[in-house]
Amino acid sequence: MILYIRLAWRNILRNKKRTIIAGVAIGMGLASLIFYDSIVIGMKESMVRTATSSFIGQAQIHGEGFRETHEVELTVVDLGGVIDGLDKSGIVKNYSPRVMSFGMISSAGNSSQIAVYGVDPEKEKHLSKIDEAIFTGDYFSGESKRDVVLGSKLAEQLEVGLEDRIVITLAQAETGDLSQDMFRVSGIYKFGDRNLDGGMAFIRLHMAQEMLNIPGEVHEIAIEFTDIKYAENDTLDFWSHFSEYGNDAVSWTTLFPQLKGAFDMSETAKGIIGFILFAVVALGIINTMLMSIHERIFEFGVLKAIGTAPGRIFILIIFEAVLLSLVSIVIGSIIALALGIILGHTGIDYRGMEFLGTTVQELMYPVLTVDQFIVYPIWVLILTTFVGLYPAAHAARINPSDAMRKSL
Amino acid sequence: MNENNNVIVTESVVKVYEDSEIPVKAVNGVDMTIERGEFTALVGPSGSGKTTLLNVISGLDHPSEGRVWLGGKPLSDMSGRELSDFRRDKIGFIFQAFNLIPVLTAEENAEYIMLLQGVPKEERHLRVMEILREVGLEGFADRLPPKLSGGQQQRVAVARAMVAHPAIILADEPTANLDSETSGELLDMMHALNRETGMTFVFSTHDQIVIDRASRVITLKDGRIFDDEIKQ
Repeated sequence: MILYIRLAWRNILRNKKRTIIAGVAIGMGLASLIFYDSIVIGMKESMVRTATSSFIGQAQIHGEGFRETHEVELTVVDLGGVIDGLDKSGIVKNYSPRVMSFGMISSAGNSSQIAVYGVDPEKEKHLSKIDEAIFTGDYFSGESKRDVVLGSKLAEQLEVGLEDRIVITLAQAETGDLSQDMFRVSGIYKFGDRNLDGGMAFIRLHMAQEMLNIPGEVHEIAIEFTDIKYAENDTLDFWSHFSEYGNDAVSWTTLFPQLKGAFDMSETAKGIIGFILFAVVALGIINTMLMSIHERIFEFGVLKAIGTAPGRIFILIIFEAVLLSLVSIVIGSIIALALGIILGHTGIDYRGMEFLGTTVQELMYPVLTVDQFIVYPIWVLILTTFVGLYPAAHAARINPSDAMRKSL
Repeated sequence: MNENNNVIVTESVVKVYEDSEIPVKAVNGVDMTIERGEFTALVGPSGSGKTTLLNVISGLDHPSEGRVWLGGKPLSDMSGRELSDFRRDKIGFIFQAFNLIPVLTAEENAEYIMLLQGVPKEERHLRVMEILREVGLEGFADRLPPKLSGGQQQRVAVARAMVAHPAIILADEPTANLDSETSGELLDMMHALNRETGMTFVFSTHDQIVIDRASRVITLKDGRIFDDEIKQ
């Protein structure tokens, strides 16, 4: 066997140019796959961060039924117990209790239906990025309980600026009586997201509780975990624990299903792209090997004439395929690593691009993982060995006298 | 004739090639017996069937008609694997174009058949070094074929053919690509080996240098034996 490995290695080095070209071609196929995977992971992480950190959080707890109906009466059950549980869970980094109701906002110039959020400014600023998105005014820094923070598109629609007065009208819990109150615009933010910028307004938590007549209650607790991966782990006890007693704990994957759907689609796309790349790689390998065998047909004839069994010729060609694959894997891994390091440093700028209701707000960086440099190369090795079977069988079946006769 | 001494026997062997539109009868009814220890030349013009006959008697090709026995065994009864093993163990080949494996050194080429036979490494090395010395290539063991002259490559091919101690050496135009001096040296060496060991040599040739040294000359014409001369 050692002889055939040695022979195979020397054979693929016979025509260095061809081996390098084939190695680069196959390697680029591998590099493309690794790089695409790294981009998808990076994009996914970036979009999840953008989607969850802007406002919705990585998970939310609601009273059962609230997400579907937004009924004001459906508040979080046993709020004190839930808060206590979050504090002790060990995996929750930040949380923010919110009151939420659809209502009307009116200014002297216009009115609009919006979602009104009552927030605890101190807790909220550690979870969402409303405070960072403010470009004029401030984020509840004053003492006034009548501060309201609006999105830029809403402010534009209402024709209001800082210090202007607006009126918010909400329907109270139980009775449905309308409750109105006046607020002053203390800050205007801009995310570059239609929904966030045009459909929401933020007031202080206790003001919202008063207006809705739900003292001490909240509709939603937005959560940030210590590791975002907890949010994607369906098996975590967290979900069942905080869904007890009439509550409903869900991750962003449920809150933002279109994003999850898009990621699932990208996995499918990755599979299809991988298949196509591998098919191209396979054809390249078969072509290279058949050409190499054709050039050496006389030599194979001689090898068989002097007593080399067909099985040994078969093994020799398989070893050549495997060694070519290993050369390609090294080349492809180097290319992928280089691309990953360079773009991992510079990033890919898609900021401002809106995708499934999320506006990309940060540079995307490819994410290289150890798995990419193990799993995909193994597939290349398996594929190369598999496609090497045909050329190997072809060489093994060569009739020595025909081979020597046709070559002369 | 002592049948136990017959290493090669052909009976009405015919070989037709049907590759082209018109079938070609390269060998057309050859009955031939070669005994152990013969140093025989198959001669004839190009197309007379010399190479084809060598291919048939070595089992590289199957006859279209007739039978072949090697060492008393009928080739037609052997499977592909048995034929391959038989060639490995009993027949040494020397080809016109040397046919060394270009990526193996002279030593590696010479020891190749012994590797196939499973000869242990130390014994292989000793025997190869000895045979390379005998063919005048001491000091060239680690050279690759492209770094050897034509004559040197053919010597390696001769070493490869002989080192495994086959019963028969079949040589197809072994001197075709060599100058006369080298050809003479090589033939003298093979002739000496033939006398010392009783190894049977069959050459396909139209080189007078070979013919002069042969103890028997079988002339082929149009695929048949035209003449069969045993020299004294």
